[in-house]
Amino acid sequence: MAILNRWTQDFTSSSVEQTVRLGVRLGELLQAGDIICLDGELGMGKTAFARGVGRGWGASVRVTSPSYTLINEYPRLKDGRILYHIDSYRLQTEADSYSLGLDDIFDSDGTVIIEWPTRIEGWLPADRLWIALDEISNTRRSMRFTAAGSRSATLLNEFKRRAFGL
Amino acid sequence: MISTRILAIETSCDETAAAVVENGRTILSNIIASQTDLHAQFGGIFPEAASRQHIESIYPVVSAALSKAHMGIDDMDCIAVTYGPGLVGSLLTGVNMAKGLAFGKDKPFLGINHIEGHIYSLWLESGEQGRGEADEIEFPILTLVVSGGHTELYLMVDHGQYQHLGGTLDDAAGEAFDKVGRLLGLPYPGGPHIDEAAKMGNPTAFKFPRAVMRDGFNFSFSGVKTAVMRQTKKYHSKETMPVNDLAASFQAAVVDALVTKTARAAEAYGVTAVHIAGGVSANSALRREMSEKLNIPVRYPPLALCTDNAAMIGAAAHRHFINGRRDNFDLDVIPSLQLNTKNNG
Repeated sequence: MAILNRWTQDFTSSSVEQTVRLGVRLGELLQAGDIICLDGELGMGKTAFARGVGRGWGASVRVTSPSYTLINEYPRLKDGRILYHIDSYRLQTEADSYSLGLDDIFDSDGTVIIEWPTRIEGWLPADRLWIALDEISNTRRSMRFTAAGSRSATLLNEFKRRAFGL
Repeated sequence: MISTRILAIETSCDETAAAVVENGRTILSNIIASQTDLHAQFGGIFPEAASRQHIESIYPVVSAALSKAHMGIDDMDCIAVTYGPGLVGSLLTGVNMAKGLAFGKDKPFLGINHIEGHIYSLWLESGEQGRGEADEIEFPILTLVVSGGHTELYLMVDHGQYQHLGGTLDDAAGEAFDKVGRLLGLPYPGGPHIDEAAKMGNPTAFKFPRAVMRDGFNFSFSGVKTAVMRQTKKYHSKETMPVNDLAASFQAAVVDALVTKTARAAEAYGVTAVHIAGGVSANSALRREMSEKLNIPVRYPPLALCTDNAAMIGAAAHRHFINGRRDNFDLDVIPSLQLNTKNNG
């Protein structure tokens, strides 16, 4: 069900594979400095979506969960740029983020995808694309995309055109 | 035989560790300033504390490693340190310490891959066994590195020669243990507590997905984690949850997937033995099932060397050192370091 609004888009994914494909579409459009937040409980498909993003973006190795390692870096071959995949699952307070060097990552204009973003919300740049994932049934997931600034709105609208023909 | 004494340092993730290792086999000292107590309070890593802790612990830990070995830095042939994969800030603490010592004392310096360290934990002598079992093994061997951050299968065709056969497509096995532990209300770290709870539970009480893909040697543990989460939502509280049965059924699914893929790879590549390393290799059900299902030798590190430690870094460094490898002081930490077929360093 689409909400015809420049800032949000609702979508239903009916399988993990579809979630990955949507991630690929988004990954193809990402530029330096883009921030993608994946918000949802365990098992909602955050890492599956991130895997697609990595593939679409051009990561040279597959994207896996960074829960334990906290930050995974994926350099791509064509221009050596880095996709940062951050997971705040093991973080407790926003103060933790300081020691992770998040400000360095955002300052470096890296492309960033973040799981469990609410735990580090105060550190996030204002202009970000927020994706809330929720459970509809065992395999179906609702996805709400919300843009929070001009760049993320442009990104969202490009994504809507490419992924859904809207 | 060339005799080497290596001071090794490991700070890639949660632990600050240092060790003195002789000839890549004999542990003269192995110090770990465990932060697990600190993490247990918070149900996971507490990086602000962890990173500060590395800086505070590194000097006393290195000093303790040398004094326990009854040696000084001048007695060392080489200073080795983990330079990846891991968290950039944590890695830097260890690497800077190692560079400082090597530069100040004019010693050879080596950067070691953390995963290769786990692989070489099998070459270390345990106190009880007296000598490293894996010392005279015949190649090729299959190595499964299974921990909180990794679940990877490597064909090891010779010392330092690896072929990556497969790995997890989503969550590492140890990560699934920790997340399910939290769902079941068990203390951190989840692995040992699930292992204990599972001993009192029925592994067939719940049928959780195995995710054993037909082709290739990859793993997936995200589906089983989600299935356990869905099951736990059916109970009103953690008091009414059949924790032991859930733990046993979850563990059976993970162990089954690990054993099935490892057995298939062992057969496909005609290996002489299977080595299992990393934190999850301490799991009792995994050890039992692997040994039962495989008809070739299955070897594990001593229990104390399954989780992150510096002795394993010293064991891996020994091979590089005797092969003549030396690193420059411009070696930088590489958070996303891969274990390559060639220069795995």
